[in-house]
Amino acid sequence: MATQAKPSTHGAGDRDTPKWEMVVDLDRCTGCQACVIACQAENNIPINEESAFHEARVIQWIRIERYWEGEFPDVKARFLPLLCQQCDNAPCESVCPVYATYHNNEGLNVQVYNRCVGTRYCGNNCPYHARLFNYWEPTWPEDLRNQLNPDVTVRTRGVMEKCTFCIQRIRRATRGGEAVADGDLQPACAQACPTSALVFGNANDAGARVSKLKNDKRRFRVMEELGTDPSVTYLKQVDTDG
Amino acid sequence: MGLTRRRFLQWAGATGIGAVVFNGCRVPDHEIQVQSPVRLPEDLVTGRDNYYATVAQGPASSEGLLIRVMEGRAKKVEGNPDYPMNQGKHGLRAEALLQAVYHPDRIKTPLRRVAKGGPFRRIGWPEAIGELAKILGDADASRVVLATAPIRGVLADVTQRFADAYGARLVGFDPIDQTVLRAAIKRVFGQDALPDFDIARTGYLLSFGSDFLSTWLDPTHFARGYGEFRQGEGERGYLVQVDSRFSPTAAAADQWVYVTPGSEGLLAMSMIQVIVSEGLGDRSAADALTGGGGASALAAFAPEAVAARIFGGGADGPGRIRQMATEFAGNDHGQSLAIGGGSAGAYANGSFNLTAIYALNHLVGAVNPPNGGGLVFNPASEAARVSAAPLREWKQIVNDMRSGKVDVLMVRDANIDYGLPSSLDVREALGAVNTIVSFSSFLDETTALADLILPGSTPLEEWGTDLPDPGPGYTTVAFQQPAINRFGDTLSFGDALLQTGRELGLGDALPWDTMRDAVRETARTLHETGRGSVTQPTFEEFWRRALERGGWWDMDARAGAASAPPQLPTAPASPELAGDEQNYPFFLVPYEAHGIGAGQFAHLPWVQSAPDPITTVAWATWVDVNPTTARELDLKQDDIVIVGSPTGHVIRAAVYVNPATPPRVVSVPFGGGHEHSTGVAAKRGANVLGILEPTEDTETGALAWAGTRVRLTKTRDRAGLPKLEGKELAVQLKDQEIIQVQHVRR
Repeated sequence: MATQAKPSTHGAGDRDTPKWEMVVDLDRCTGCQACVIACQAENNIPINEESAFHEARVIQWIRIERYWEGEFPDVKARFLPLLCQQCDNAPCESVCPVYATYHNNEGLNVQVYNRCVGTRYCGNNCPYHARLFNYWEPTWPEDLRNQLNPDVTVRTRGVMEKCTFCIQRIRRATRGGEAVADGDLQPACAQACPTSALVFGNANDAGARVSKLKNDKRRFRVMEELGTDPSVTYLKQVDTDG
Repeated sequence: MGLTRRRFLQWAGATGIGAVVFNGCRVPDHEIQVQSPVRLPEDLVTGRDNYYATVAQGPASSEGLLIRVMEGRAKKVEGNPDYPMNQGKHGLRAEALLQAVYHPDRIKTPLRRVAKGGPFRRIGWPEAIGELAKILGDADASRVVLATAPIRGVLADVTQRFADAYGARLVGFDPIDQTVLRAAIKRVFGQDALPDFDIARTGYLLSFGSDFLSTWLDPTHFARGYGEFRQGEGERGYLVQVDSRFSPTAAAADQWVYVTPGSEGLLAMSMIQVIVSEGLGDRSAADALTGGGGASALAAFAPEAVAARIFGGGADGPGRIRQMATEFAGNDHGQSLAIGGGSAGAYANGSFNLTAIYALNHLVGAVNPPNGGGLVFNPASEAARVSAAPLREWKQIVNDMRSGKVDVLMVRDANIDYGLPSSLDVREALGAVNTIVSFSSFLDETTALADLILPGSTPLEEWGTDLPDPGPGYTTVAFQQPAINRFGDTLSFGDALLQTGRELGLGDALPWDTMRDAVRETARTLHETGRGSVTQPTFEEFWRRALERGGWWDMDARAGAASAPPQLPTAPASPELAGDEQNYPFFLVPYEAHGIGAGQFAHLPWVQSAPDPITTVAWATWVDVNPTTARELDLKQDDIVIVGSPTGHVIRAAVYVNPATPPRVVSVPFGGGHEHSTGVAAKRGANVLGILEPTEDTETGALAWAGTRVRLTKTRDRAGLPKLEGKELAVQLKDQEIIQVQHVRR
């Protein structure tokens, strides 16, 4: 169940430090999967073979959940793009015995792959099922390895992984220390999204689009009642009645 | 109290434990900030990347792309923010172009069959071109057919010139062609080019059968407009989807209106009747449409006369039609627009349907409206274009092949053995062709029958141009350039034709050494206009800038007004479905799969693994069945059924009990069931194209791909569908909605 969003109280940090957040406008989302595949390409996510679907082991850092409402002829299918909510009070962080996941000063819930020992405690604790475990060594046909992004680690078997808000892009954009104009830096999903349903930006920049949209009166955050304080704000889908 | 040795030890122990305990409750800063033993690549940022602008041309889509290249390898596809059609956005098929380049099953060298029906042998390009030239030189040109997927731009020009100069018959092939749509646009508006739809500024969008957010024409372009169309609860457009299937566009719509398959045009005509009889719309347009006859000329389409045929009786059909007509003709939401295509044009009465649907626009001033939001005509172009031929023409070609009138068949991404209905027995006809030459990069059913394969390069390795159709409302030329060197010993189709043309002595008609030269000549023509998005003093500067921007466009080069008087359809209103209702009780409404289309993209792993938006199924073919129907037939999720048509052909696929499927309809996605293909696509799913009755749209002869009835036969087999949702359907829980909805009154 989702509740009305409240202003974040965690992780805001220094106002000069960016606080990366995302807004997802469900009224625009068409469930087209462009974000899912863009993320696969950018982040070296293994190809989800048919067996992965049968075994419920699909690895998608962003996935489109589809929920039915009603039955023909009064039926609706609603889409929910779900990714790591980069919670400011993340239940995954406190249970990691080896500090493989922690919160950085830019509001990101960071996963350190080479610390992870695969306890999967974090996955158990994530109410969004945003954390995905590598049950097998990821493999690609040899030629397809040419496409892999050299900026992103290929995770090994036994390691937990999840959406990073494309931290490699953040690093590239901010490495010189110069300010990044709103909209110039986008994770692969938001960049691809044909309807611009995904909006990413620095919530510490009052002029940023994400700052304005996250206070839109349609806002809500998924399962906020759990106290996770997510950094992803959703805008309600609008139904026109009457 | 004195400090005894015992007390000292108690105190020291407690503080020591306390220190350990308290230290254990917090993460030591140095653990977090300093001692990450290895810096991750995400932190390091290695290498230097380059971006190359190019374009991905689909049968009706055009996406400007930026390709990120590092160390000679393409790493990522991104949308080109400059390109007018997609403006920085891109769809999943464009992303998967990377996998076409590095596909493990790509044909990377020319192949020649050792003997008829024997194995292939690798050969070099000089030998391959020489072999093709010899085949064509020895053949009677009038008995040579060159079949290609729809193409535009320089490649279409080169192909057309080659075919004309040599004397071959050039024909386009696309399993789901746009012949009916083109004919309707020509008839209603007098336009040769498909119009753009200004969805972003439309207030009330009435879409008939066109799944424009998923597969119809150029979904990325339309989705971009749709994003603007949805602006929360303020200036929010209103979308009504009239469709016999619950498509992704229907899911996004404010209202999904189910109509009996094939009755879309009847509904449009009835709405016209209401608008005219109640004087709701533009009266002069109404007079023009009815030839001055007014409402009486349309009496046969009065809601009371047709509602039962549209909605199947029951609810207040006539009232519903009147309400839709009133809303469409009113301006409560702003500019109205009616669009149609997809299944609405895929019946024997497809032309009737689409003509009636597009005629609605005349009544509400939606043709080039001054404030935007309607149809925007695209300027006519003299440039060559190879469009898909209708089924009627393909039937003739298949008959010619069968009767030995075709000696040589050349195919480029025209998989006719897979894409034409099985009842035409294309494979038998292909067996009567002396020589089949394929230019495909991947094995497919038709290529598997080839005697000679000259593997083409992929879009990221080629030179070319694209003139989008539909365009953005003004003249646009996209430039396609190789972002990377060819991966494998391949050659672009255009370059293969140019080289073969030289061998055949056709140099006068094909005056370019390479496709790059041909593209540069197009660029030179554009440079000489001295207008548009790129203007430079010298041609070389123009060339460099145009390649950097991904093309050239002239926002002042727009089309004029409609050149044809408004017309209403005259064709029959009945869809004339194949199969009697008693033996074949279900309407089969097939559809292009969201990812793999009609099979053209089935070889790409990312596309196969992208879940269908509605069912979340990936890697498979399924049959959508209504829950009540499933209960009546004792069918459960994952049961295998046999779908049989009057052709006698059947497919087997698993059932998806779909709450949105109408009771008398079953739906099956195209694109599966490849017999010969890459390892990704072969022997996976079922090919529903194969069981279609080869009926035609009566006016254009296009395949009426939604015009077949079927029956379902339960088997004892079950196969778990690979899908993202779990074994149970994911539904919103009452009062615990995971997705919050804001209800607003219209």
